[in-house]
Amino acid sequence: MTTPRRLSNVPELLLPLWRTLPWRALGAAAALGLLVAGASRLPAGFSPWLALNALRAAALAFALGLAFLLDDPARHTTATVPTPRPVRQALRLALVAPFAALWWTAAVLLVPAEVRPPVGAVTLEAATVCALALAGAAAAIRRTDEPEPGVGVGAGLLTVAVLAPLLWPDRWELFVTVGDPEWADAHERWGVVLTVALVGCAVWAREPVRRLRVRSPLT
Amino acid sequence: MNTLIQPAPVAVRTEPRDSWASVFALARFESRRLLLSIPVLVAFAVHLAWIVWHTLDSYDGFPALQDADRDTQSPPMLVGLAVLLTVNLAVLRSRRRDTDRHFDVLVVTTWRRSAAHVLSVVPAALLTAVCVGVQFGWEALKPGAVGHGSPGELLVGPLTVLLFGTLGVLLARLLKSAFVGPLLVVFFLFFVVLGVAPGDTESGTRWLNPVVGESSSETLPSDLLGRPAAWHALYLLGLGLTAAVLAVLAGGGRRVRTLYAALGGAMALTLVGAIAQSGGEPASLTAAREKATVDPEQTCVQRGRSTYCAYPEWEPRVGTWAQVVDEVSDLAGGTAHGQRLLVRQRVEARYGLSGDGALQPSGTAHEVTVGTRWGGPRVPEFSSAVAAVLVAGNEQAGSELCDGRIVTVMWLALGWQDQPMDALRKVRLDDSVSGSAIVLQPTDPLSMSAAQTDVVRTLLTRPRGEATARVKEHWSELTAPGLTTARAAELLGVKGITEKDGCQE
Repeated sequence: MTTPRRLSNVPELLLPLWRTLPWRALGAAAALGLLVAGASRLPAGFSPWLALNALRAAALAFALGLAFLLDDPARHTTATVPTPRPVRQALRLALVAPFAALWWTAAVLLVPAEVRPPVGAVTLEAATVCALALAGAAAAIRRTDEPEPGVGVGAGLLTVAVLAPLLWPDRWELFVTVGDPEWADAHERWGVVLTVALVGCAVWAREPVRRLRVRSPLT
Repeated sequence: MNTLIQPAPVAVRTEPRDSWASVFALARFESRRLLLSIPVLVAFAVHLAWIVWHTLDSYDGFPALQDADRDTQSPPMLVGLAVLLTVNLAVLRSRRRDTDRHFDVLVVTTWRRSAAHVLSVVPAALLTAVCVGVQFGWEALKPGAVGHGSPGELLVGPLTVLLFGTLGVLLARLLKSAFVGPLLVVFFLFFVVLGVAPGDTESGTRWLNPVVGESSSETLPSDLLGRPAAWHALYLLGLGLTAAVLAVLAGGGRRVRTLYAALGGAMALTLVGAIAQSGGEPASLTAAREKATVDPEQTCVQRGRSTYCAYPEWEPRVGTWAQVVDEVSDLAGGTAHGQRLLVRQRVEARYGLSGDGALQPSGTAHEVTVGTRWGGPRVPEFSSAVAAVLVAGNEQAGSELCDGRIVTVMWLALGWQDQPMDALRKVRLDDSVSGSAIVLQPTDPLSMSAAQTDVVRTLLTRPRGEATARVKEHWSELTAPGLTTARAAELLGVKGITEKDGCQE
């Protein structure tokens, strides 16, 4: 089969995919994210440290919504469509991306300018946690038969997100505060993590060529 | 022809079997799954690892149990969040797997299944209680432990787990989506664990949070803490029970009359706890704090030549203080060698736990102040206060020293220690062993100039006997007012010091 034919029915796929996207999960996640970011407008006022962590918490909330993005209750029946899985997953992502960008802009703007952390660096952190969620979802789809692995992926991501700041070695500090001399180095590390997560997304999006099976030596 | 007569069927008891037995069976099954789920296992592993890491060297081996009990409160929140997430997913499992319909044919009704899910949280809370008990027991068994823990403070950890777990069941019954659990954890993480709670930190509303921390690290006698720990535990218990009953009500128990009575009881508990804990500090507590600061009731004991007055809870620590005083007096010469001292324990309790207060140096002759904490840097700090009183006569005069007598004071304070250079580093505010620095004491600090530090460092690296002999030999000159640092260095055989004194800095 040639590539043009594989992609020829993409326009027809758009509408059904749009309908199957987990809009409720994404909506709830986005709403919670905006709530957390908006808390920085409370009269009590946030310190820059708290504002940074508010944006991190908002990004984590949205990433938890994204963990449900690749859930497809009809997975076992759509496995036979001619459009390959990477294309279908990329389409889902493309449909959500404008929404995510809009949401993140709103979340960042909700934090008052005087306590707002550097936008580029925080966006890098947010992109990384979202990419990790997607990589987890892709891996769960690729490695199991589960049609809706979102819950497990979300729980895993959450466990990692709670434990990483506690257990991450200081040598490779990631969770730095604004004004820390390590800030620039830490964000290079965030870039590395993002790259790894994106590679993971790409690798796990491929469909397995054949099922892994231990062949009996007798047959 | 015989008619085959069928025997009448044996009567079968048709009354329902004990359905509570099935509730407990389901609760056992669910709690097993809960405790073996990955987030809960990870949370307990992290909790235990934290306990070991924290308790190995907490409070430098000399904990006051009224402080140590509060340390057990925050980490269980992590366990609570894991339990919340897992129990939420467990309640929604049948919905996710589309097996809800099959439950309709079972004898166990939906509300009993909700009750079983609520009960499945209890073993996790009990396990947390065991962890908390291990942590507190470890602190209490340390040889240097003093004071009293409060059961109310110790219950906060397990009750937080119970509360979070029942909230997980309640939310699963109210919002039947799998993504609610994880999002709720992010919410709690941000607003409860990071402590972004609405309300003033000074007001009674802060007690509505499950875990209430304090801004001060002061150690007070346990009756002056003013924390409504028992009421807070009652409030948390009431809140947990309310969430539990609401979860059963929302999970198909609307027709069960007893649940409404239980709901009323649980809410009453919560209200009583909430109102009682936010009452603020009574006038009697303020008066007791004032008295303990200004004119404390203490028991005084004689050890060796000196007298030691301590708050009743700190009496077991008198022996360790006496050791330090004896060591310092042994290094001193002249009349100071046999000087009787009064060591009085003091604490600034008037600000409670909301702020640290500094102690004023005492003007009474031969009286030394000791604080409520001990171990680590507190030992050389007390030691230097004893030395300053031996040299200058009283604390007020001791805290104003800046001339060459600082060298004598610091030698007395550190010369007897096993690792004097370590002690020098600990007792100085900036942890340095060269240059000028502030030397901490239980009351006002001293300051050492760079030259004085050089002399003291040189003395501490020499053999102890040699330095002790020189100090005793020149004792009257080394403790005379107006002694320059250069003269002190000369008397002690340290060369190359030209500084007159450190008073100008």
